[in-house]
Amino acid sequence: MQNYNSKFKNTIILLIIGFALFPVITFAAILYLEPSSGEYQPGDTFLVEMKIDTEGECINTIEANLSFSQDILKAVDFSQGKSIITLWVKSPEINQEKGEISFRGGIPGGYCGRIPGDPEASNSLGKIIFRIPGMIVGELMESSAEVKILDTSQVLLNDGLGTKAKLTTQGANFKILSKLEPSKDEWQEELEKDNIPPEQFEIEIQQTPAIFEGKYFITFSTSDKQTGVDYYEAKEGKRNWQIAESPYLLEDQSLQSIIKVKAVDKTGNERIAEYTPEIPKRTFLYWIIILVLIGVGVIWWILKRIKK
Amino acid sequence: MLDTEGIEDTSFGEGKNKNRIVLKFYGMAFYSRNIITLIIFIPIFLGLILSPIFLPFQEVLASVIPSSVTVSVTGCGNGIQEGSEQCDGSDLGGATCVSLGYAGGTLSCQADCTFNTSACTSGGGGGGYVPPPTVTKVIIQGKAYPQAEITLLEDGKVVTTKKADTLANFEIEIADITAGIWTFGIWAEDKDGRKSITFSFTTSVTAGVTTTVSGIFIPPTIELSKVSLQKGETLNIFGQTAPESEISISVESPEIVKKTIATEEGDWDYSFDTGILDESSYTTRAKATSPEGLLSSYSEVLSFYIGKGVPGVICPSADLNGDGKVNLIDFSILLYWWGKDDSCSDQNGNGVIDLPDFSIMMYYWTG
Repeated sequence: MQNYNSKFKNTIILLIIGFALFPVITFAAILYLEPSSGEYQPGDTFLVEMKIDTEGECINTIEANLSFSQDILKAVDFSQGKSIITLWVKSPEINQEKGEISFRGGIPGGYCGRIPGDPEASNSLGKIIFRIPGMIVGELMESSAEVKILDTSQVLLNDGLGTKAKLTTQGANFKILSKLEPSKDEWQEELEKDNIPPEQFEIEIQQTPAIFEGKYFITFSTSDKQTGVDYYEAKEGKRNWQIAESPYLLEDQSLQSIIKVKAVDKTGNERIAEYTPEIPKRTFLYWIIILVLIGVGVIWWILKRIKK
Repeated sequence: MLDTEGIEDTSFGEGKNKNRIVLKFYGMAFYSRNIITLIIFIPIFLGLILSPIFLPFQEVLASVIPSSVTVSVTGCGNGIQEGSEQCDGSDLGGATCVSLGYAGGTLSCQADCTFNTSACTSGGGGGGYVPPPTVTKVIIQGKAYPQAEITLLEDGKVVTTKKADTLANFEIEIADITAGIWTFGIWAEDKDGRKSITFSFTTSVTAGVTTTVSGIFIPPTIELSKVSLQKGETLNIFGQTAPESEISISVESPEIVKKTIATEEGDWDYSFDTGILDESSYTTRAKATSPEGLLSSYSEVLSFYIGKGVPGVICPSADLNGDGKVNLIDFSILLYWWGKDDSCSDQNGNGVIDLPDFSIMMYYWTG
């Protein structure tokens, strides 16, 4: 009994020390997928939403790395429409061959979870659009497809130090059944509802010795609250539109061209921002002054010749 | 969980167990040699058993604690008809088909908190109900500092600025906003030009409804009289908050908490005696509780050193181009150097521009 008593005491003391020293690890952010299960059939297109539960923490940065059964599922797109992430260090990338999806981004000022009264959970990081190819009908009698959130994913606290939050992940598992009913396309339904262009935005011209060897570049960013921004295009003067990302190094370093940036959402709705440089106006005035001076010079020269 | 009859016998026994106290708990008997051990043992037991109950209230020191911040949102979907909502769920605000001009029928509420009059019946030539035009609007209410300049960010971009009144209250209205998930950020500049940390919250905005976010209390501004001191010198920690708020100043680590009350003008200061600290580097931050009971999150974290000073960061607070703001331009500079080394962008000094540097930039974001 003595021995048992002493061991029991030691265990309790260790537990108390544990409770006292590690209050921080009692909370952990959870990255999870919704739905986490379901039944689909070849030809179906369905959405899997990646969400975060911060468990009382304030976080500001998320790196997500996922893997999926690439032989059964085809990741056709990623929608940022309802994502809480507003700045993307790395836009969502899909590698179908390897069955991987990854992205990195953040929330300026941080995200501290759902606030009381918010009718929605407001904790989505984005939606992955999966399709089960119709041609595998014969090969699949009944199968399952997995989507995993990899351990390389990380979440950082909004503490000004870049501290990693303790993280737990919950993947998803889907049952693929033989084709019985007409195919569903959840993504098409979302696309059809989206008739609103991306949010208004501005182009800012910048120059700093820190980057692009001090050359002029532009910055821009916007969001689309429905299906999400798909891509940006930029155009300088009469040059053609070309795919662009912020920061974008300007070709015309004289800043005399009108700059346009187009944000296009997943449905194809467009929002164009325009920047008209002030310099062309000054140049116009400059040429008027030059012409006047030349005119005065010519008159003076003519008068001088006449006097001679 | 706790057996109330567990502590059955605290009497002194005989023979082998003489002078021992017997503690019976769930059928297990434990013996103690003296009353002091028992006094230590019982609180430990109770602490262990009751600690899970208090776990949700436990504070996480590493970051801002949202559960202790008084922010709430009212809007469509919470089942309560409020603001500009015509109805919310089953709450029709007392309206019926008849009160809306119909002859009869059943009135219900749509998902966007407007009336569904499809089941209302019009009796022979009645005019029926014409719903008023609806706008999607967000109202943000809270407290900052007297006459403070408030800057509002939408998804990280500055959209408007407004001045708080002399009692530090502010209200900002955003009209004609697209429905969806939005992250709003607010920071304030006090009368002495000190800027607060950005306080952010994410909420969904419903189409055709006024979403009101209230109870915001912007973290106090904070400044130090010195960043490098000799042991025993007095460190003045000061800043601004709402008038007569209680300020809780935390110096770490180990954590030392001191309290003070702000003046009627919202100024606060505390003279901290560094005599109790060893030669090392420390951090300090403050949070406030207003007289009405609003709680702020923590302010910016400031560092100071007792003894020999440690050189500061080359580009402090993630302001990479030194323009006094942390915005898309600084983000562009960070992206340019991503994966490489740049002494200015490398905020945590680990020799490479990576995710922690980005996280530090998100923390200091001003838009």
